[in-house]
Amino acid sequence: MGRQAQFSLVTTLRGVLVSFLYYLLSALSRPVLFGIILVPVVAGLLGVLLPAFNYFPALGSSQFSGAAFTQLLATPGLLKMLCLSLFCGFLATWIAFKLNIMILASFYHTPWLNRIEQGLSPVLAVPHAAAAIAIAFILTPSGWLSRLLSPWLTGSNMVGDSWLPNDPWGISIIIGLVFKELPFLLLMSLSVLKQANLRVRLLQEYKVAISLGYQAEAAFIKVIFPQLYPLIRLPVLAVLAYATASVEIPYILGPNNPATLAVTILNWFNHSDLELRFVASAAAVLQIVLSLTVILIWLGGEYLWRRARSLFMAINLNPWAPFYRFCTGVTLILFAVILIVSLGGLVVWSFAGYWPYPAALPNSITGLHWQNAFTQLAEPISNSLLMAVSSSLLALLISLFALEAASYRTATKSWLEYLIYLPLLVPGVAFLFGLLWLQQALFSDAVFLPVLISHLVYVIPYVYLSLAVSYHNFNPALIRVAASLGAKPCKVFWRVKIPQLFAAIMVAFALGLAISLSQYLPTLLAGGGRYPTLTTEAVALANGASRRTSAVYAIMQMVLPLLGFMLAAWLPKWVYRKAQA
Amino acid sequence: MSALELKNVNIFREQTLMLSINQEVEGGQVLTIMGPSGVGKSTLLNYVAGMLPKAFTATGEVYLQGHRIDQMPAWQRKTGLLFQDALLFNHLTVAENIAFAMPKSEGNRRQKREKIQIALEQMSLAQLGDAAVSQLSGGQQARVALLRVLFSQPKAILLDEAFSKLDSQLRQSIRQLVFEQIKQKNLPALMVTHDLADANAAQGPVIEVQSLC
Amino acid sequence: MISNRDNLTLSSVVNGLIFALYVILHAAAFAEQTVYFYAWGGSPQVNQYLQWAKQELATEKGIHLQHVKLADTSDAVSRILAEKAAGNLQSGSVDLLWVNGENFASMLKHNLLAEPWVDQLKNFSLTRPEKNPAVLKDFGIATEKREAPWGKAALVFYYHSGRVNQPPKQLSQLIPWLKKYPARFTYPRPPDFYATSFLKYAISVLNEHQADSIKQQLYQPVTEKSFNILAAPLWHFLDELHPLLWRQGRYFPSSGAQMQRLVDDQAIYLSYTFTAAEVPAAVSQYNLPPQIRTYAMQDGSLSNIHFVAIPFNAKHKTAAKQVADFLLSPKAQAKKQQIEVWGDQTVLDMSALNNSQRAMFNTLQRHPSALPANTEFKLLSELHPSWVDKLNSAWLQRYGVF
Repeated sequence: MGRQAQFSLVTTLRGVLVSFLYYLLSALSRPVLFGIILVPVVAGLLGVLLPAFNYFPALGSSQFSGAAFTQLLATPGLLKMLCLSLFCGFLATWIAFKLNIMILASFYHTPWLNRIEQGLSPVLAVPHAAAAIAIAFILTPSGWLSRLLSPWLTGSNMVGDSWLPNDPWGISIIIGLVFKELPFLLLMSLSVLKQANLRVRLLQEYKVAISLGYQAEAAFIKVIFPQLYPLIRLPVLAVLAYATASVEIPYILGPNNPATLAVTILNWFNHSDLELRFVASAAAVLQIVLSLTVILIWLGGEYLWRRARSLFMAINLNPWAPFYRFCTGVTLILFAVILIVSLGGLVVWSFAGYWPYPAALPNSITGLHWQNAFTQLAEPISNSLLMAVSSSLLALLISLFALEAASYRTATKSWLEYLIYLPLLVPGVAFLFGLLWLQQALFSDAVFLPVLISHLVYVIPYVYLSLAVSYHNFNPALIRVAASLGAKPCKVFWRVKIPQLFAAIMVAFALGLAISLSQYLPTLLAGGGRYPTLTTEAVALANGASRRTSAVYAIMQMVLPLLGFMLAAWLPKWVYRKAQA
Repeated sequence: MSALELKNVNIFREQTLMLSINQEVEGGQVLTIMGPSGVGKSTLLNYVAGMLPKAFTATGEVYLQGHRIDQMPAWQRKTGLLFQDALLFNHLTVAENIAFAMPKSEGNRRQKREKIQIALEQMSLAQLGDAAVSQLSGGQQARVALLRVLFSQPKAILLDEAFSKLDSQLRQSIRQLVFEQIKQKNLPALMVTHDLADANAAQGPVIEVQSLC
Repeated sequence: MISNRDNLTLSSVVNGLIFALYVILHAAAFAEQTVYFYAWGGSPQVNQYLQWAKQELATEKGIHLQHVKLADTSDAVSRILAEKAAGNLQSGSVDLLWVNGENFASMLKHNLLAEPWVDQLKNFSLTRPEKNPAVLKDFGIATEKREAPWGKAALVFYYHSGRVNQPPKQLSQLIPWLKKYPARFTYPRPPDFYATSFLKYAISVLNEHQADSIKQQLYQPVTEKSFNILAAPLWHFLDELHPLLWRQGRYFPSSGAQMQRLVDDQAIYLSYTFTAAEVPAAVSQYNLPPQIRTYAMQDGSLSNIHFVAIPFNAKHKTAAKQVADFLLSPKAQAKKQQIEVWGDQTVLDMSALNNSQRAMFNTLQRHPSALPANTEFKLLSELHPSWVDKLNSAWLQRYGVF
């Protein structure tokens, strides 16, 4: 009897604790989410706006003026920088967007779509820096591609003076960006197409269109795409903003004479001449204007497209269908070749001994580079993992409870759904620098916390958006049944929603890991270099002395997030192995 | 005093009145509500159960065993819902699904498990306590769903097209089982259906709802 | 019910793991006095040397040396400045900084350095500053004893002997050589350190024929007049050089390290470095082909000393001084000078050492790719640091946008 009383006391206490946690977190999550997203971005923007107008007392300047902008405008090649950023960002997004539609149009409602999805998802987990390093390996004139073609095709045993990578037009940047953004857009589109309330209806409309004599591609473009686009517009704009302001890919693949605006800003902020900080801040403001401009151009194009829609709908797309299919096939093959050659190239380089040009394979194989790297990799890897796991767990907790709290609110669509895109739309190179002074003032000696906060700014939106899709698709009848059986919202949450969404939660967690693992600028800036991660080390070594060491780092950078996704796929099966026997 | 009383209940979509009802249901009695789709029959059940969708509003009062319940949160109302799908939780085994519904007063884990086993045996599901729900046939799922509702100690039963997905043979036996249990436990029940046979089998009052808009 | 319990267990296990990981990782840091040494991390040799130093310091002095790897030293300067801006005057993140040249000048100008401290070091006297005043000057600027010398470097060239018979031995031979081997040389884009080093080498050699009074102005603060006179031959030279460079001078590598990679790729056949020992080390690590040979230019090699400095707001100043003293010790200096370790020349004066200390420096090994032991240097002094910015910005104006 005594044991039973004790037992029930423990269970009661546990119950009280669990429901206390539930209500506390439900109440807190939305304000916390709001704070973590908004405060760093706004404070960061303020932190570059003031120095942009020459207000920076530490450098002895407390008078507002436009001197920094005057100096910025006098920078040689500024126009070229702007054009380069604009050209690369816009074109890369447009190509990725176009390819996304072509792939969907060609493969919608075929088993190939699933295969392509499975093939491309791992690319999503590859950090931008690693992708850039891998692509640089192919494009470089002494890379595998030209080795395989020499001397029989190139007619030379000498390394050519090629213009790729780092070409002045930014073609290499565009290749790198498309390579990374296409999988993202595709997966975003597929998650929309899979939404419970859309899937069946769209498929039926598609079949109707085909029965009316449209070819598959034409049916998709005329019926599905106009309904799909509004739902992926925000992700597309986020890609656009990212592409115009990203640092890693243009830093590794781009020209430097001049570089893109974002890379130049990074160089100025890091320059030993501290006066350049004013110009850098002014340039950061310009970067925001630039990203906004590109978004406006895109929206303008969208407006024109909508105006011309009736015209467009009248075009007979059927004759184009084979051409579409051909282009899609070529693209996918090219994509696969790049993927295989670059991955293969990385692996071979990481084990290569002496490897004279144009030999297709190294003269000898050595584990030396891995050995050397591992003596130095322990700290970056444990730092990366610690940061990734903490930021993803926190992001998961906050997002989950924010969504849970939202599901009991009466308002149908809240501002939070839009606010969450803020960090994805505001160029990081602009607000992260401005954020430094706030972090300095708040936690001068801390390293982990500022880095964690900077990571959360990026991890939360992805985790939240990924979870939101599953949350909104959750079968509401299950919740009703549970409630009618007398389960409180708290019990419904812990005992029905969490287990039912477990697979989706793990995917969101793995996505969080991948995002955190890939962060370069937030880690570098917030940590002040005192928090070395795989990514910061990989970028630092990307243009370093050893191609072989660089390969090792890039491979490690790819392996960690992939492990996360593999864990996410396996864990739900293991945890619920009993109920799924 | 009736077991379940719907007093001047009006249901609106946006500002339009959809359905109006003023009815009492005795214990062990099944009130059948019939009518074309879209008139708000299911919405009425959701209202009684405390899960009115966001687009709807309602006025009126609902009393269960003399207590007014229309202001209570859903989980306190004790109105057991049965849908056309069994809606078993597929992350739980059969026994765990039933245990989910049992209040604390049913005892500790072992005691609950014993009660579940007895009930499963009565429903000829004796071997399936540890089975995954995906292994069950449609009829078995329906019976588990019924057991689950009964173990939640409901004070009323709400049947939302509960038999429409079962084939005719199975439908008859499950229907009989459900109505027997309702009589035996002396619970008031509301049933929404398209099927006249359901209404006849219920042997209770029938309301035909007309479209008001 | 059972699954739910599994869930709770799982999350608590995960939490526990994270905590354990955190404790293990940081336990070492809590136990000892930690010195954050901010130093350029682009060279595996340097990094491995600092790993050795870390172990020595832990056992000898109980100090935990944390090497913060910088891509660029100016990152750290920016950070210290940001700390000053935020009012962090006591507990800065940088304890010790590897620095010289314009970064030092910039820190001095903005009062970011600790009060003079170098005389407190036991081993500083071994550099015999009265005999070798160079250890008190950083690119022509007095150190004010706010930074301790660490090593010495001279600019040497290396080339691929399998592809090239005869490398250029003087600057004047570079352009004819490039006409024979088009696009097989380049230099980084300013403001990279290796870029300005090349420009400084060129401007020094190209003005060799000038009168002493004019030549001397390279070592004094730059003026508009002296710049116009002395830089003119440089621009003339570069105008002719650039079309012959790798990629016709449309793209310049971003660092000296990237040039080494280009040599390994055999995209270029000739490059240069300040750390001669890096060349044989890279060959043995397969990062350069075995046919690489190192040599010094006959018309002069730029040379300089590099230092370690303590910022004004360093949190662990005392421990940082102990680290600096250790880095100056004969043991650490001898280790550093070994070709297979780093190969950085010592700043100690051999006459100040006793026999056993001197013996530690006599372990040089020869590698075919290493700089021949009998190489004769004609040393060129570093320019006054004010020249650097002026040269960089003028270069960017002229060649920065293609």
